[in-house]
Amino acid sequence: MSGYALRRLLQSIPTLLVVITLSFFLMRLAPGGPFDGERKLPPEIEANLLAAYNMDQPLYLQYFDYLAGLLVGDFGPSFKYKDFSVTELIWSGFPISFELGMWAMLIGLVFGIGFGCYAALRQNTPGDYLVMSTAMAGIAIPNFVMAPILTLVFGVMLGWLPAGGWNDGAWQNKVLPILALALPQIAYIARMTRGSMIEVMGAQFIRTARAKGISERKVVTRHALKSALLPVISYLGPATAGVITGSVVIEQIFGIPGIGRYFVQAALNRDYTLVMGTVVFYGGLIILFNLLVDLIYAWLDPQIRYE
Amino acid sequence: MTAHISAKAPALPILTIDDLHIDFVLHTGTVQAVRGISFELYKGETLALVGESGSGKSITAQAILQLLPEPVRYTKGSIEYQQQQLIGAPTAAIRKVRGNRIAMIFQEPMSSLNPLQHIGHQVAEVLIEHKGINRQQAAARVLELFQLVEIPDPQRRLKSYPHELSGGQRQRVMIAMALACEPDILIADEPTTALDVTIQAQIMALLKNLQQKFGMAILFITHDLGVVHQFADRVCVMRKGQLVEHGITKAVFSRPQHPYTCELLDSEPSGSKPAVSQDAPVVLDAKNVQVNFPIRAGFLGRVVDQFRAVDTISLTLRQGQTMGIVGESGSGKSTLGKALLKLLDGHGDIHFDGIQIDGLEPLAMRPLRRKMQVVFQDPFGSLSPRMTIGEIIAEGLKVHEPLLSPRQRDEAVCAVLEEVAIAPSSRNRYPHEFSGGQRQRIAIARAMVLKPRFMLLDEPTSALDRSVQIRVIELLRRLQDKYGLTYLFISHDLAVVRALADHVMVMRSGKVVEQGPTEQIFSYPQQEYTRELITAACPLGNAAQRAHSSA
Repeated sequence: MSGYALRRLLQSIPTLLVVITLSFFLMRLAPGGPFDGERKLPPEIEANLLAAYNMDQPLYLQYFDYLAGLLVGDFGPSFKYKDFSVTELIWSGFPISFELGMWAMLIGLVFGIGFGCYAALRQNTPGDYLVMSTAMAGIAIPNFVMAPILTLVFGVMLGWLPAGGWNDGAWQNKVLPILALALPQIAYIARMTRGSMIEVMGAQFIRTARAKGISERKVVTRHALKSALLPVISYLGPATAGVITGSVVIEQIFGIPGIGRYFVQAALNRDYTLVMGTVVFYGGLIILFNLLVDLIYAWLDPQIRYE
Repeated sequence: MTAHISAKAPALPILTIDDLHIDFVLHTGTVQAVRGISFELYKGETLALVGESGSGKSITAQAILQLLPEPVRYTKGSIEYQQQQLIGAPTAAIRKVRGNRIAMIFQEPMSSLNPLQHIGHQVAEVLIEHKGINRQQAAARVLELFQLVEIPDPQRRLKSYPHELSGGQRQRVMIAMALACEPDILIADEPTTALDVTIQAQIMALLKNLQQKFGMAILFITHDLGVVHQFADRVCVMRKGQLVEHGITKAVFSRPQHPYTCELLDSEPSGSKPAVSQDAPVVLDAKNVQVNFPIRAGFLGRVVDQFRAVDTISLTLRQGQTMGIVGESGSGKSTLGKALLKLLDGHGDIHFDGIQIDGLEPLAMRPLRRKMQVVFQDPFGSLSPRMTIGEIIAEGLKVHEPLLSPRQRDEAVCAVLEEVAIAPSSRNRYPHEFSGGQRQRIAIARAMVLKPRFMLLDEPTSALDRSVQIRVIELLRRLQDKYGLTYLFISHDLAVVRALADHVMVMRSGKVVEQGPTEQIFSYPQQEYTRELITAACPLGNAAQRAHSSA
C-alpha cells in the first residue's frame, strides 16, 4: 500500500508539470500585464519594473526560472501585494479557509448522509420528497443568494450572530460562513447517498441479510451503509480540496481573510506569480485528496487492492 | 392431487401453502405473479418447484419468508409454518423464523454475500442473532460449520472476503450460513445454476448429505429437470403462476399428465449430428494456437509472468462441421474462440478459407470478417439498445456491401428475419421489445445476413430456458443444412453440445483434455475429467426417453 501511495505521488509530478506549463503560458497569452493601469507608466519606469521582476527576459527563460524556484519551494514575489511573497500570502489565508472548509465538509457529511439515508429508506414517501426537494433547492440556490439570506435572517432580523467580519476568528463570526459553505454540500451528499443507498438496498446481499432474521436497523447499519458510502467517498476528494481552498463569494460577503479571493483577484490583476502559486497549490491539494480518497476506498472495499 | 406417499414423512406437514395469490402493483398495472398455488412440505423430504423463468417459482419461495420487495400484495391464501400463519405476521415473529427455522440460499453466491465483510463474520451473525451466543462461541461454531460444508482450509477462510473464494466455495458459505441454526426447512433457490457442472454435482451431493444428517426438509427451486430427477422426492411443476402438475418425481417423469410437463421433458435437447465427409473443404485450420495474458507486478507494473489462457491447441474445421468446445468457466474456451477469429491477439498458424490470417492487418481482415460471424451468450447485452433490430441487422451490410440501395438492404433484412422466424414487420422495433429467445434469433439473423461460411457460437443458448433453447437449436440446425455453415460451438452445457456437434473438444486450464467424434466422447470417454463432466451433467437419460414414447 505504501508503495502504491509513493508511486501515485511520483505519477502526480508530470500531472502537476502539465498544469503549471499550461497555466504559465495561457496566463501570459492573455492581454494586459501586471503593470498596466489607468494611466500608462513612463517607459523608463516600466522597463525598470520589468527588469526587477525578470520580465525582460524571453518567456521560456522566465518559465525555467519559475520551475527552478518551485523546486526549492519559492513561489516568487507577488506583483500586486508588494512586500509579500506568494508563499506568505497563501499561508496567511489558507489556515482560515482550511478551518472553515473542514467544518463545512464535516457538517455536510453528517447531515448529508443522515438526510440521504432517511430519504432512501422512505423512498417515494412524503418524507423522501421533502428531503429531496429541499436538497434540490440547496443545490439550485447559488451561494451569493444564500449567504445574504443567512446574513439577513440570523444577523439582521434575529440578531443572533454578527452579519460579517472576521473579528480575529471569534466563533460567532465563523458560524454563518461555515453554514453557507456547508448547505450545498449537505444537499449534494444527501442526493448522492440517497441514490446509492436505494441501489444497495435492492442488492441481493441485503436480501440475504434479511433472510438471516436480523432487524431492519442492523440490515442498514451493518450491511448497507458501508457499500452505500463508497460513491460518496470518491466525491469527497475533489470536493474537500475545493471547499478548503475557500470561496471567493463567501469570503467577500462575510469579509473573511481567506485565500479564496486570491484566485480571482490574482487573475484580474495579472499577478502572474500569485496566479501560478494558487494554481500549483490547488492542483497539489486535488492530487493529495484524491490519493487519500483512493487509500480510504481500498481500506473500505477489500475487492480493491493496489499493487 | 395429494400425491404424497413417502414413508419417511410424518402425518403433519411442516409447511402448508394454500391457494396462494401474489400480485405486484406497478405503475403499468397489476401483475398476477402467483395465482392459486397449494402444496405441503413434510419433514425430511425434498420437494422441487420446477418451471421456466417467469413461472413464479422464485416468488413463491421468497414469499414464504416474506422477503418479497414492495409493492407486493398477498391477495389470497395462506402460508403456514407449523400452524403459524406467515403472511402478515408481525416483523418480530417473522424474524424469529428467518434464518433460524427456515433458511434460504440463493442463486448468485457472489452477489448474495456482503462483499465488504469477512465470510466468517457473515455466518456468525446468524448465530449471534438467534442463539444469543457471543462472538468467540460463534466463531468456534462457524469453524465447525465450514468443516461441515467442506470448505478447504476453514480456519484461514474465516477471514476471507467473498471475492477471494470460488463460486462453489461461496455457495458452501451460503449453505453454512443457512444451516447454522439447524433449520427445519431449507429453501434453495436455484442454488447451482450459476456454477459449473462438476461443482453443481458437488454442491447437490453436499446438500443431500447434510439433509440426511439434520433431517431438514428442502424446498428446491430450479429449472433444471436433470437435477430434479436425481435429487427430489416430489415435484411441483409451475407455469405462469399456477401449479400444473404435482406428484412423486419418478411418476411425473415417467408418466407426465399435463401437456406442459411433457413439453418441458421434451425440450431436453435430443438428436445428434452425423459427421461430415473427410473430403469436405477445410474452412478453418489452426495450428498451435496460444494466447498469453501478461501478469503485471511491482513498482512500475512490469510484466513478471505470462498466464497461458490457451496452451498450444490445433484444430481443423471442415465445411458443414460443428465442433463443440466444452469446459468449465476459466478453461479458455471463449478465449480460444476469439483468438481463432483474431478478436484478440494470439500466436499460431491460423488459416481461414486457405488464407493465412495470423499477422494480417485489421484492414486486410475486413473482407474475411464477413465470412466469419459471431453470436454471443448474452442476448440482452450484445444488441445495441439504441438501434432498431432492422438497423442492427443492416449495419453489417452497409460495411460489406456499400453498393446496395436502401431498398435492397431492407429486402435483405426482411428475408433474413423471415429465415429466423421473426415477423419482418417488427424490424422497426427495439431489442428490449423482444424476449430472450427472440433476441438470440435476431443476433443470429444479424450474423446470417452477411451469408457467412463460419459462425462462432459462444454459449448462444446458455441464457435461455430449455423450451426456448430447443427452438434456437432447431434454427441453427436448419441454417446449417440449408447453407452448409460451419459452426464452432462453445458451451458448458453438455446436453446441447451432444445434440448439435459432431465433434467435441474438452478443454481444461487452456489445454485439450480429449477430443473426438461426439458419440465416442460421450459414450466412451477416455479421460477421467471427461467422465466427471459427463456424470456431473446428470442428463435425464432414460426418463426423458420414456416421456417421449408415452407422450
